[in-house]
Amino acid sequence: MNTNEIYTRSEPASVVGGRSAGSGMYDVVHEDAEHRPYANQAGAVACEVGYNFAYLDEQTKRMIRRGLLKAVAVPGYQVPFGGREMPLPYGWGTGGMQLTAAILGADDVLKVIDQGADDTTNAVSIRRFFARTAGVKTTTRTPEATVIQTRHRIPETPLTNDQIMVYQVPIPEPLRFIEPSETETRTMHALEDYGVMHVKLYEDIATFGHIATSYAYPVTVDERYVMDPSPIPKFDNPKLHMSPALMLFGAGREKRLYAVPPFTRVVSLDFDDHPFAIQSWDECCAFCGSRESYLDELIIDDAGSKRFVCSDTDYCMQRRDAEEEGAQ
Amino acid sequence: MSAANNSQWLQAAFNDPVLDAQTSFRSALKALAEPGLAQPLNRALALGNLHPATYALCLAFLDGDTPLWLAPCFDTPAIRANLSFHCGCPVVAEREEALFALLDEAGADDLSAFDNGSERYPDQSCTLLIQLDTLTGGEQLRWRGPGIKDVRAVELPLRPRFWQQRQARSAFPRGLDAFFAAGEQVIGLPRSTHVLLNAEEAA
Repeated sequence: MNTNEIYTRSEPASVVGGRSAGSGMYDVVHEDAEHRPYANQAGAVACEVGYNFAYLDEQTKRMIRRGLLKAVAVPGYQVPFGGREMPLPYGWGTGGMQLTAAILGADDVLKVIDQGADDTTNAVSIRRFFARTAGVKTTTRTPEATVIQTRHRIPETPLTNDQIMVYQVPIPEPLRFIEPSETETRTMHALEDYGVMHVKLYEDIATFGHIATSYAYPVTVDERYVMDPSPIPKFDNPKLHMSPALMLFGAGREKRLYAVPPFTRVVSLDFDDHPFAIQSWDECCAFCGSRESYLDELIIDDAGSKRFVCSDTDYCMQRRDAEEEGAQ
Repeated sequence: MSAANNSQWLQAAFNDPVLDAQTSFRSALKALAEPGLAQPLNRALALGNLHPATYALCLAFLDGDTPLWLAPCFDTPAIRANLSFHCGCPVVAEREEALFALLDEAGADDLSAFDNGSERYPDQSCTLLIQLDTLTGGEQLRWRGPGIKDVRAVELPLRPRFWQQRQARSAFPRGLDAFFAAGEQVIGLPRSTHVLLNAEEAA
């Protein structure tokens, strides 16, 4: 009885009126236009025929949507969901893609980043996937995006209340490397029994003299659930705390989704005498000179000389553009 | 009423089943992520005594996997026929079996027996869809919790009995999540929201 027939569409503008949120008409990048077999010459967004809007069928989307509502209602709790096979392998963002497919609408503007970059294989292919199956606008600019799917970074540009972040998560269970049994970890979450998490961090201190965990650094959400923030560098952990944007996390292989609502307390685990601290660098970005952003190390010659550049390519580009404008 | 002439009750649902469901879901998601803020929900028409927002929530959430419990005032042939045709959701008589419950203001006074999940699976709880005449004009209460930057004043016209019942069924992470719908608007109230009921608590 469901009305989920195959859905095709040639002109999204005729289907749905403009979004009321303040971010209406931007100059949006149509970088993938040449790859769309059905794009007409006027440049209108057209999508693949034979797929439902955003690839997933409506029944699957509804199931994921109901899961997302429960994830938002219990921040940090991992909701099991019936993960579907996606047309790319596990580990390439199948969990994030299913969440994106479930929330994406015709007037969304999608940005996809992979380790901060918009131009790596994973980011390009996922962006193209949704441009083709949903016909949505895509962008590389953080302020223009309404949905940002990310692999392992949070943009440096502050997020807004109208944006939704979708994280790709490999192992959603922060306790998994300590306790391999799902039955046990579920009980530990139910009993709020997180002592072993601190033991793990303490073992770092005993071995290295400091907490050596530098990514996927565990956090406590709203003083209840311990959550894996996905393999973002711990540099990004403070951006989760009281963020104005809704954060959704999807693990495709493990078939779990979880969420952090906007304005939620997210605290990184630490000790009084070993407080949580983020990475810092003595160098600045070789391109834009930023001293605030997360830097990647590049080896530039056989002698092993190093340069540091921003991991967030859009942030770096914005700063360079602003500098050029200032110079003119 | 025989099944044969059920079709006389049928009305159109979403104009565009795909995009209207998506738009309605996003409003609901935003409503739940930012409790107390009214969100627009205008993609459906009224169905009998169901307001457009209430009907849109039903169409966006319900399908064959979601047993629904109907409050007596919504248990009409028209609502049963349309929900069964457009959503295909089973309507159950026992509250314990329901994943969704469609309630009116009077029904919101009795939340007993709705499943509020377990410590291990708090997500397996019933979601309440509560239709009110309006979303303002009640006693002003202060809401606090995830999704609310500081404190938000909300004036839902609900009787104190609802808040007592909600508290009685709540032991985080167990609890009941609610959507309040009226006209073409919806307000979300997840179990994580702490509602300050009187002046002593607020102080």
